[in-house]
Amino acid sequence: MTDNMSVAVSSPLVDRGHRPPAVPPGAPAVERHRRRSRIRATVEAYVLLAPSLAGLALFLVAPIVGVVVISFFDWNLMGAPHFVGLANYREMMGDSEVWRAMRNTTYYVVLNIPAQTVLALLLALAMNRKLRGGKAFRVLFVLPWMAMPVALGIVWSWAFDPQHGVVNQFLALFGVDGPAWLSSTTWAMPVLASVNIWQYTGYTMLFLLAGLQAIPESLYEAADMDGAGPVLRFFRITLPLLRPSMFFVLVTNTIGSFQMFDTVYVMTQGGPGGSTDTMNYHIYQQAFQLFRTGYASALAMLLFAVILLVTAVQVLYFRKRTVYDFS
Amino acid sequence: MSATSRRVLAATATSALLLCLTTACGSSGSETSSSGGTVTLRYAIWDAVQQPALQKSIDVFEQQHPKIKVKIELNAWAQYWSKLQTQMAGRTAPDVFWDHVAYFPQFAQQNVLTDLTPYIKADKLDTSIYDPKLLAGWQQDGKQYGLPKDWDTIAQVYNKTMLEKAGLTQSELGGLSWNTTDGGTFVKALQKLTVDANGKHPNEKGFDSKQVKQYGLALGSSNGQTDWWDAAAQNGCKLQDKAWGKWTIDQPSCVEAIQFVRDLRLKYHVAVPASVTNTPNGASLPQVMARKQAAVVWDGSWDLNAYQSSMKGNFGIAELPGGPVGKGTVYNGLSNALYAGGKHPKEAWELVKWLGSEESQKIIVSEGSVWPGIPTLNKDYVAVWKQRGVDVSGFSKEAEGTTIGYPLTTSSATYSVKVQDAFNQVWLGQQSPKAAADSVNEASNAAIK
Repeated sequence: MTDNMSVAVSSPLVDRGHRPPAVPPGAPAVERHRRRSRIRATVEAYVLLAPSLAGLALFLVAPIVGVVVISFFDWNLMGAPHFVGLANYREMMGDSEVWRAMRNTTYYVVLNIPAQTVLALLLALAMNRKLRGGKAFRVLFVLPWMAMPVALGIVWSWAFDPQHGVVNQFLALFGVDGPAWLSSTTWAMPVLASVNIWQYTGYTMLFLLAGLQAIPESLYEAADMDGAGPVLRFFRITLPLLRPSMFFVLVTNTIGSFQMFDTVYVMTQGGPGGSTDTMNYHIYQQAFQLFRTGYASALAMLLFAVILLVTAVQVLYFRKRTVYDFS
Repeated sequence: MSATSRRVLAATATSALLLCLTTACGSSGSETSSSGGTVTLRYAIWDAVQQPALQKSIDVFEQQHPKIKVKIELNAWAQYWSKLQTQMAGRTAPDVFWDHVAYFPQFAQQNVLTDLTPYIKADKLDTSIYDPKLLAGWQQDGKQYGLPKDWDTIAQVYNKTMLEKAGLTQSELGGLSWNTTDGGTFVKALQKLTVDANGKHPNEKGFDSKQVKQYGLALGSSNGQTDWWDAAAQNGCKLQDKAWGKWTIDQPSCVEAIQFVRDLRLKYHVAVPASVTNTPNGASLPQVMARKQAAVVWDGSWDLNAYQSSMKGNFGIAELPGGPVGKGTVYNGLSNALYAGGKHPKEAWELVKWLGSEESQKIIVSEGSVWPGIPTLNKDYVAVWKQRGVDVSGFSKEAEGTTIGYPLTTSSATYSVKVQDAFNQVWLGQQSPKAAADSVNEASNAAIK
């Protein structure tokens, strides 16, 4: 398929910035002037970059370095920190609660990502048709993403209340006796996942929709002429051409899911029976309820390592595949 | 000026502004402010039910001290300690705050509290007006780290109409006892108060535990103070071996009490299921009573105004039942503490002194808010509630009997984190009392410093 279509092929990770044409050799005076203006341009660029670089250093680099350093200390934020070497990391290895939190987090990601991506893709496909009032729908689907997660958590807690919640009252209409959702070790995590799926599907849909709209109509016309049906067109044209958007959506959503915190904090506080104690909630608990900042920092390093690994696997998967680009 | 240098200038100005916005100018919002000679103090509390009465006292304080303003910062109990300690670490804690025995030892260790002794001496403050037990609770190494704000015990709050319907009186309800074999007269009374959709009681044939219209009892607590600690006191259980010692909630007398509280829900079906009352999503005890889901709750005296606002005098107070060993309740009190890192210690002391004064505690008492730290005002508190048609003497009778206090330990934070989740599981029937007690006990002892 690639052979007879003139499309640019590149990896999503390679910067395709347009480089300026090489400077032809000129007279020495002109050259000197050029060099001076180039230095001036560099200075200017750095001055213009200064605010964001300062912000980056202050709010990103410094805290990250701080976490790495603190992870080798025992520190309750109040007294003097004690250097403990690798003790926090050793404790982490034998801490069954940490591994439970890791399992819970993985379970959440597995519940969340596939469902959210498939739903968002279906929505995007539906939205991609020229519908009357399509834009209004788009806004409607993105609304949950714009709302405050804490407020949503509270509202959903009410909805899942075993006696007075709308969910069980709705189920009762069909004679179904709904469980006590958030008190159940079986149901609590799926409930959290469904709240997050509901919240972020619209947002994911926007990216996939943008990707869909970038696919040239001519490809579908050509496929029509070749007699390809809708299923074939989806799997042979839409899905492969959606890879850049898919890549972005999967990588960012997976990272976000591993870091899930606010919904747990509001709806379950890690319970019942630790069944929704995710890594980020556990880190919060160690750092801001028990004030074991050193240990919490070591846990943050573990979570970072896991996310890095998963992201690397995703990058490798997508790199192996051809990515079509029409821009 | 060339176009380039103008641009450079603009960029520099922008970056300077941004730096200012992100660093120095960022923290001014949360700090104590003073402008034009007026000082604004921050005062942190966790109970919304007590805020209106407290505000009345603050209003008088502000009239008497025109140069001092007080801003109350309300944070619910679940977030209060986490937030306060983070603020202390950042040296931005409120000037004055409610302190609790569970966290006091740790704060005293960390030097974040001001020793009030020099202030008390300088102002010749008479501390003999306070209950000596309460005053001593805020002392460590000869230093005074707070003035008593109030005291509280746990008693049974009941719905008058429901009690009458079941043919029970207040003195009967206050004279019940329980045991571990058949539940005793306490469970029998609760069976009368529990009714299913067909009007059947739990001790009758055909009772449907899934269709209960009204429960006899509702229990709820994030740490045990208003449920199993009281049963534990009634069964001779001690939460720790000695002050500053080890936790001992894994002892048989404690586990039996936990088992009994669990049985009220899961064996006798006379208490509201845990899926309704478990923290953090559960309904509060005043909410359960307002919804008429239960006839009786075990709750602290600090919640009286919450019942008054929803039940308008249609509630009464009875003593807790006696257990195998006898009567027992949790006795506790709060203090107003003076933060050691504040910018206006003098003004903050004025506030602490005011809140501990007879004049202020009279205002609190006249609002029916909480039992006062000054014992001579106890009778005024009883009188205020008598006027509202509620006899609150059950709380003070219990205070004179057998009581247990909050454990004195440095591992309260660990205990709080562990106990909520583990005991939620016990009340749901998903973990055995012994296993939960063991795990919480072990983790709490490991965290003692």
